[in-house]
Amino acid sequence: MRKALKQYNFDWMLWRTYEAGSRLLAGTRQEYDIALRYIPNFRDPVKEVFKAKAGQLFLQMTATYLDNIVNAHQRGKKTCMTTFCFSPAILYALDIVPVTLELLTVMMTFLYKRGTGEFLDYCNEAGFTETSCSSQRGSMGALLADIGTPIDMVVTDSPGVCDTNANAFAFFAAYKDLPFFQLNMPPWLVEERVTEYHVQDYKALIGFLEEQSGKKLDVDRLREILTELQKQDELINELEQYLSYKPLPLSVTTCLFIYAGRFMFAGMPIYTQLLEMLVNEGRENVTLLKQGINISHEKSRGFFCYIDHYTHSLRLWQMLEELNIGYSGNILSHFWADSNPPVVHNNWKEAAYSIKTGTLEEMLTSIAAINSRMPMIKSIRGPYDSPYMWLQDTLALASMYKADFIVYNGTPGCRNTWGMVKLLAQDTEKAGFPTHIMYADAFDDRVQSWDATRDRFEEFLRVRRLL
Amino acid sequence: MFEEFYTIAQSINNEYIAKVKEQGALCIGYTCSYFPEEILHALGIIPYRIKGLNVSSLSIADAAFGPFICSHPKCLLQHFALGDYSFLDGIIVTPGCDSMRRIDECIRKTAVNLDLPVVPPFFFHYAVPHKITEYSVKWLVEELHRFIDSVSAHFGLSFSYDKLKESIAFYNRLRKRLEELNALRIHYPARIAGADAVAVYVAGLSMPRDRFYGMMESLLSEYTGTALEDRKRLMLIGSANDDIDFIKTVEGETAVVVADTLCYGPRLEVDYVDEEDEPLHALALRYLNHSHCPRMYGGYKQRLAKVVEAIRIAQVEGVVLQNIRFCDLHGAENGLIERDLEKLGIPCLRLEREYGPLADNERMRMRIDAFLERLEVRRLVCERP
Ligand code: SF4
Ligand code: SF4
Repeated sequence: MRKALKQYNFDWMLWRTYEAGSRLLAGTRQEYDIALRYIPNFRDPVKEVFKAKAGQLFLQMTATYLDNIVNAHQRGKKTCMTTFCFSPAILYALDIVPVTLELLTVMMTFLYKRGTGEFLDYCNEAGFTETSCSSQRGSMGALLADIGTPIDMVVTDSPGVCDTNANAFAFFAAYKDLPFFQLNMPPWLVEERVTEYHVQDYKALIGFLEEQSGKKLDVDRLREILTELQKQDELINELEQYLSYKPLPLSVTTCLFIYAGRFMFAGMPIYTQLLEMLVNEGRENVTLLKQGINISHEKSRGFFCYIDHYTHSLRLWQMLEELNIGYSGNILSHFWADSNPPVVHNNWKEAAYSIKTGTLEEMLTSIAAINSRMPMIKSIRGPYDSPYMWLQDTLALASMYKADFIVYNGTPGCRNTWGMVKLLAQDTEKAGFPTHIMYADAFDDRVQSWDATRDRFEEFLRVRRLL
Repeated sequence: MFEEFYTIAQSINNEYIAKVKEQGALCIGYTCSYFPEEILHALGIIPYRIKGLNVSSLSIADAAFGPFICSHPKCLLQHFALGDYSFLDGIIVTPGCDSMRRIDECIRKTAVNLDLPVVPPFFFHYAVPHKITEYSVKWLVEELHRFIDSVSAHFGLSFSYDKLKESIAFYNRLRKRLEELNALRIHYPARIAGADAVAVYVAGLSMPRDRFYGMMESLLSEYTGTALEDRKRLMLIGSANDDIDFIKTVEGETAVVVADTLCYGPRLEVDYVDEEDEPLHALALRYLNHSHCPRMYGGYKQRLAKVVEAIRIAQVEGVVLQNIRFCDLHGAENGLIERDLEKLGIPCLRLEREYGPLADNERMRMRIDAFLERLEVRRLVCERP
């Protein structure tokens, strides 16, 4: 790794950059335009985020997340390295600061033109495999090199779902000799035995977190967080209704904001604010639509059955706008509350979670259920064509959102999906959805350049007459 | 003396299986060393640890699996697609690793998509937890119950705990024989080549176990051993390997593999199932505890301690850490082991390789030779008065 990169902690740099970015709109329009001239490398991502009304708040939220990490120890808090598919709500209930690798990686790839290449490579220098998923490696490299806030403990919940994910956390914990906890996911979901396993596992996790943080779980605090989550679920439900309208009444970045916010601040008021802002915009635009006022020129609509493409400048979203493609969801923006539209519509209550805030036992059961239904954890844990798994979820969501086509995008590190994505695509094609498999790496442009990725995507759209 | 073992180990089907199948016996394949063979044995079913040897093309496997997948499960799928496993009456798939667990869909869907009769009539997804706690052991006991119910119902078999106890006792006796064989490897100087020993272990996973037991007994009574003097004593760690030629490549003319952690081999120690305990609980405990595999996240320190202990006992001079490309479980753990063993002064060689036809044999050979030279220099330095 270059010496220069080791001069400042990477999370501190990110924090200052997001902080500064979030303030760009605080002045006049003219000041903003002038400021853009001075930030040639950051101009594009900032402009892209600000296209959405909630953009500024989104940047503030990201800066706050980083602020929490960077200043955690100074504020007497412990840090916990974890993964996007682990709900951070329990960490907030115990006053522990989540450090989510995938989020930090994406925060970097969005903003820095150089991406995370050197951190990815540093993992290999430390002995980790180059074939592992780049979403963890992107920021893990920096933490392995000790240029980030020191980590106090590691928690993962992907064992049984995604090896490369779980493996990254196990590697880091072993490398740094840190306390480690893993939550297991059996290959199916809807069975009493599985629920029981999840709850026992989750209780053991709480014991671990209490021991590591030296704090006892505050029952009232947990109730507050779960109540806030209920509120957030209702807002997400409303947004999902709007996202199924054609043409789309919300910006194409809406889903990104929904899932990134939930990964950062599930159960926290700042995320509620973001959702409220999105909902308000949706309501206004739906009113306009109903009055016959055109608010977008959607030519066709895609459903991303896995993740998005995150490299510099939110280029995926820029492209979608340029091509007039409506984009109303991917697997990450679904959290499977019992009131969630696809759950209600398909009568899938048994596969969804319900939040109960009565007794402590009820709350623990609820939060274990929420966690075991996080994106990827719910639908990619067992054979993809089993009930409530990837195929069923994909087809239901793509139909609900009136998608014209389906796209798979991931990373070569994802053994889990690459082990069956071709089969899945055959099934989605049979179901009538033209399906495009991207061979890019969502977090590392060096695998396939963005230009090549875009070219192939456009070729697919043209060949399948979707444009 | 080892010819028979080599023949069985290096082919998919064999005459022993064919013979008992003719007499109406059932044979069920499994994908991972976390499955207790004792259960099948108690039901009179031949357990078969599925292998991927001798595949010359991956045309069908490449079409089903994506490109970024370990070539070991791909070779298995190719065999299924070609009908080479048509003698199996069933298959048990374990979430050992992501690549291997996806063989579930790949086998089933390849059959449908390509209209091939590749799916065995009985299919079971066996869910093994990734940790050892009271509740995960309980879970595994329930999985064993689920398996017994399902397989008995499917084939109309009756299961008895007495038979299971007998099978547990039989397997413990078999383990004893394997331990005796292992002792020949650990002996100084080694009295058996690593390739020969692995051929015996792999053969044992591919044929009726009672017959194998008999063969082991005669081997142990007749074989006095060849003293493999002056060879570099190596330990082999990492990805699954059923390929004897790979072990031969590692050993060449001047080295011998005296210990390994490979899941087709005996791993580091031969440990037994507690015959006093309730049988399913005893099996769940033994299999969760024994299998020395990085799929048990967070268990690195314990695994390292066992490796260090095995190095001491077998007087290992150097460790070869190998992983099949895209095998992140073993690849990442190899990185940690390399760091920690080198710190302890134990030389390590880390290799990434392909499974299957040894396309990169010469590349491997060159790197291993260089490593052996390093060990030679070390010997000279260490032996200097
Ligand atoms: S390496 Fe581990 S998970 Fe893979 S087959 Fe062997 S024991 Fe099972
Ligand atoms: S070698 Fe590794 S990746 Fe390949 S099947 Fe075995 S554990 Fe899985």
